[in-house]
Amino acid sequence: MSFDPVRLEVFKSIFHSVAEEMGGVLRRSAFSPNIKERRDYSCAVFEGDGEVLAMGDHMPVHLGSMPASVDAAIRALELRPGDVALLNDPYAGGTHLPDLTMVMPVYLPRAKRPLFYVANRAHHADVGGAQAGSMSLSREIFQEGIRIPPVKIFENGQIVRDILQLVLANVRTSPEREGDLTAQVAACRVGERRLLEIARKYGPEETSKYGRHLLEYSAEMMRATLRDIPDGTYEGEDFLDNDGVTDEPIVIHVTIRIRGARAEVDFTGSSPECAGSINAVKAIADSAVFYVFRCLVNDQVPATSGLLRPILITAPEGTIVNARPPCAVAGGNVEASQRIVDTLLRAMARAVPARIPAASQGTMNNLTFGGRDTRPGRSGVPFAYYETIAGGMGARPDRGGENAIHTHMTNSLNTPIEVFEHAYPVRVRRYGIRTGSGGSGKFRGGDGIVREIELLVPMQVGMLSDRRRFGPYGLAGGHPGKHGKNQLVVGGRRKQVAAKGSFYAPAGAIVRVETPGGGGWGKPAPRKGKTKRSSD
Amino acid sequence: MRIAIDTGGTFTDCVFVRSGELRILKVLSTPENPARAIEDAISKILSDSPAPPDGALDLTCGTTVGTNALLERRGGRVALVTTAGFEDVLEIGRQARPRLYDFFVERPKPLVPRQWRIGIKERVSAEGRALLHPGKGELNRVVRLVRKGRADAVAVCLLFSFANSEHERQITARLRAAGFSVSASHEIFPEFREYERTVTTVENAYLLPVMSRYLREIDALARSRAKPRRSAKSRVRVMQSSGGIISAATASREPVRTILSGPAGGVLGAQYVAELAGFPHVIAFDMGGTSTDVALIHGALRTTNESEVASLPVSVPMLDIHTVGAGGGSLARFDRGGALRVGPESAGADPGPICYGRGTRPTVTDAHLLLGRIVPEGFLSGEFRLDMERAREWVGRARGPMKSAEEFAQGILDVIETSMEKAIRVISIERGYDPQDYTLVAFGGAGGLHGCGLAAALEIPRVLIPKFPGGLSALGILRADVVKDFSRTVLLAVESRRAASSALQTEFAAMEKLAVKDMRSEGFGQSQTRIERLLDVRYIGQAYELTVSVNGDFVSSFHRAHERRYGYSDAKRAVEIVNVRARAIGVTPKPALPKVPAGDTDASASLRGEHEAHFDGRAMKTRIYDRSRLRAGNRLRGPAIVIEYSATTVVLPGWRARVDAYGNLLMERTR
Repeated sequence: MSFDPVRLEVFKSIFHSVAEEMGGVLRRSAFSPNIKERRDYSCAVFEGDGEVLAMGDHMPVHLGSMPASVDAAIRALELRPGDVALLNDPYAGGTHLPDLTMVMPVYLPRAKRPLFYVANRAHHADVGGAQAGSMSLSREIFQEGIRIPPVKIFENGQIVRDILQLVLANVRTSPEREGDLTAQVAACRVGERRLLEIARKYGPEETSKYGRHLLEYSAEMMRATLRDIPDGTYEGEDFLDNDGVTDEPIVIHVTIRIRGARAEVDFTGSSPECAGSINAVKAIADSAVFYVFRCLVNDQVPATSGLLRPILITAPEGTIVNARPPCAVAGGNVEASQRIVDTLLRAMARAVPARIPAASQGTMNNLTFGGRDTRPGRSGVPFAYYETIAGGMGARPDRGGENAIHTHMTNSLNTPIEVFEHAYPVRVRRYGIRTGSGGSGKFRGGDGIVREIELLVPMQVGMLSDRRRFGPYGLAGGHPGKHGKNQLVVGGRRKQVAAKGSFYAPAGAIVRVETPGGGGWGKPAPRKGKTKRSSD
Repeated sequence: MRIAIDTGGTFTDCVFVRSGELRILKVLSTPENPARAIEDAISKILSDSPAPPDGALDLTCGTTVGTNALLERRGGRVALVTTAGFEDVLEIGRQARPRLYDFFVERPKPLVPRQWRIGIKERVSAEGRALLHPGKGELNRVVRLVRKGRADAVAVCLLFSFANSEHERQITARLRAAGFSVSASHEIFPEFREYERTVTTVENAYLLPVMSRYLREIDALARSRAKPRRSAKSRVRVMQSSGGIISAATASREPVRTILSGPAGGVLGAQYVAELAGFPHVIAFDMGGTSTDVALIHGALRTTNESEVASLPVSVPMLDIHTVGAGGGSLARFDRGGALRVGPESAGADPGPICYGRGTRPTVTDAHLLLGRIVPEGFLSGEFRLDMERAREWVGRARGPMKSAEEFAQGILDVIETSMEKAIRVISIERGYDPQDYTLVAFGGAGGLHGCGLAAALEIPRVLIPKFPGGLSALGILRADVVKDFSRTVLLAVESRRAASSALQTEFAAMEKLAVKDMRSEGFGQSQTRIERLLDVRYIGQAYELTVSVNGDFVSSFHRAHERRYGYSDAKRAVEIVNVRARAIGVTPKPALPKVPAGDTDASASLRGEHEAHFDGRAMKTRIYDRSRLRAGNRLRGPAIVIEYSATTVVLPGWRARVDAYGNLLMERTR
């Protein structure tokens, strides 16, 4: 296997720019704040066998799970020119129901099989189900929203109206969904057009040959990284507070074996799948492993499937990291995924302590709400909203953690207050840094956030959060960060609300969330309160 | 006498008109105090010219003072006054990290530390209703706190002040009365999205002390050199990032508008020379030592509110210029997977490329030298000789699996051209414009080396190398008009075009009243001022707007623009007007570019020699021409190299070039 180092670099750049360009179209023409303002989406390019060649720098949690979508679509459907597949079923290529994924084959004229696939995934603010925002506590996937196995939303260039109507009839805010789906199709089309240009310019054979080279090249980059890690067996364990149904902590256990240029990551010993909605499907465990090892590569490297070739992942079926139907999974993508990363990092801290940070907030503090906008002039239109709230970053072996920032498996932006209050019947009362919440240490963990939102009309509110009981761990003697808190203030009285669950709140109530601080790194200096911080 | 000055990292370029003729002067920049180089240049210009008849000096400057102060964090000490409860918005930003896959990532520190972010108890609703008024006591308390901070400048940015600026005006007035220089968000940038507005307002306050110091110096300089001394007519103006100029007085109050003034001059210059040559649609490509700026010009200059400088958002209008970290100094290496990588790391000025004598890692410049694309003695008129032997040795050592140093060098150029091709795609194809309809204007020290290659890759039909590739930015500044931008976020749903139009009338009338007043202080009467009315429009529910002219049916214009940009539109969907914009333009007199002496098609009078250069792996005899001796009408056939004081142009095999009446080099493909 030999390639021209110049041409390889050229193709690397080309494929990546296709993914980025798709992302630009999706973000700019989408309708829900969650896609356009918060950028909770990913776009990717796949070669003809369904392996990822490039992914835009969008959402890490989608890294390992996008290939599963393409795989599921190819298996279930015969995708011909002009077809686009739509799916969200976590048990058939999806992650959790709000993530709607589109897969489109890219055919050369008169070709028998596709040369490439393009795909994109966007988190929609509502996909129906028992709770507005479709991101709360459930016991079965059937309560979480509409479940879409791979189906054709476009056939031979024409929209399949029946499917679209079926989807739109099952969600709370259908005009917004339709706009977002249109933007997703537009993004696919842009990817298709660009790939065809590239195939024309370089020739289809050369283009797909360099696609394969790119996969092997990424594998080689990963092998070089693994060789730098001392051989050995490293174990790590961490906990989710509970599943929201019972109060039992949920264990995630990992054993990482490094042997030369290979790694085995084995989640045997993790808790069984749970009754609540924080179960992860296997694709999420893959994403978390992908993320951690990609961070360890000390260079810019494209997010291809090749990166995972030297890594064998074992996630026993029926556990919290590889749940089976009909388990509820809304929080697997956002909560379990973060804890899997924390667990992997804890194990890797034993192998390469100087390269691993203490635990970051370890939750996405998912907040959803919805209802009818009964403010004057808004004629009671239904609304649904979803956001995640940043927190403290874990301290690093040479510096503190950043304050109020998204870490690890997400990087979604906040919705500007001036956009938020314009679009929804809410008023933000406070949005600030939760001073002192980072764990102390030689280097301090970053601080979390305090966010208070006043509800101007009665509505249903859902929370899916963790680290409300166990704070994010410190490393090398550093102290843990403070755990988070969820409260509801009604008539001036503050009460705790569950970390996972939903409730109806009256107009005038204030939802108050304090997000966790990051863990500290290294033993704190003997004099109290004189530790180094990353900011100020 | 009008002089345009562009302060760059290495050179300060001046373009001026003497006895009706356009001239150019280059002096070395003085980064520690840019005014010194300007003083030096003015002395040179005045010493070898008789005093101009009216004696007054009219200076227009493109400056990097603002950019550098932001990059090096050398601005003033700023206090921020913001709505209580939201003091940390500046630090939280958009809550995202700048790099995804890096455990050691850091965010830029906020320009105002926490202890000087002061909350004021007030609140305005999304509809612009005052929910909580700041009382007299509250205003006093805030002024007291600001005083305690001994701030050089104060930024004021309250939630929803674009919808109702009353509270912001109150506290601003109190602070100004107390003697502070204040940047208020409703004055600087009355648009929604609190983080971006706050940062922009803070940046303005942060740059106030630095910029007003610099401009005072230049102003004093202009007056002291004028004859008679302190002539009232002497004037200093500054280039804005938007492509228009403003008086020094305005720039001292609104320095954030000048952050990218140099690159803006380049775009204007490129537009002008291409238009003269008969090509109004242009892709400007400015390649320097560490970075490359590209911009697309299609009729009116396009501005964006989404720029970033020093990793911070800057939301005042800037020309839509895309910058990539690829330049002559970009370093090449093989990574651990065996791919050849070039940039974004750069050899910079120290150690510089291998051929400059100190570096040991191959750069793009070394690759050009090895392939014979640049000539060792053809650099800065031979003042500085490039070391070919040294380059061959070190590039040979680093060549990895490549068969020869030349093959390696060719690979370096292929990779760097891919990054630049990507940059041009971003501003053209991704925005819905086809490069085939454009002329590539290549300039900057290294632009001419890559013009043909990029044009071939993007199927751009022709390349124009302007007469003054090093002074193009200054030329653009010399020809710039005075421009003031006004805007306000209105978030107005368009139920009917007629109803919207009447609401817009009111908005525009208020804005234009302000525009006329401001333009008067810039020296333009109402009849000399042209006002353009623009709207930022989107489908209700979207987050990104497209800017369309208010003239005609703006709703249809929006649908068309959406179709072009995103590949679809939906005439049934309701649209909303997000921002109302007015742009006041005061047209300045424009000196014309002189024509060059005409010759015939034969360019042999400017032939300097011949040498062997490599193209596509083949060594070919290549003629070397001296640009300064080329005549209008001369024709060259590739492969050829054209050298001049601070730039080199390569005419690739399969390309031909001709010199137009203005001395521009026009290159086209022959096959």
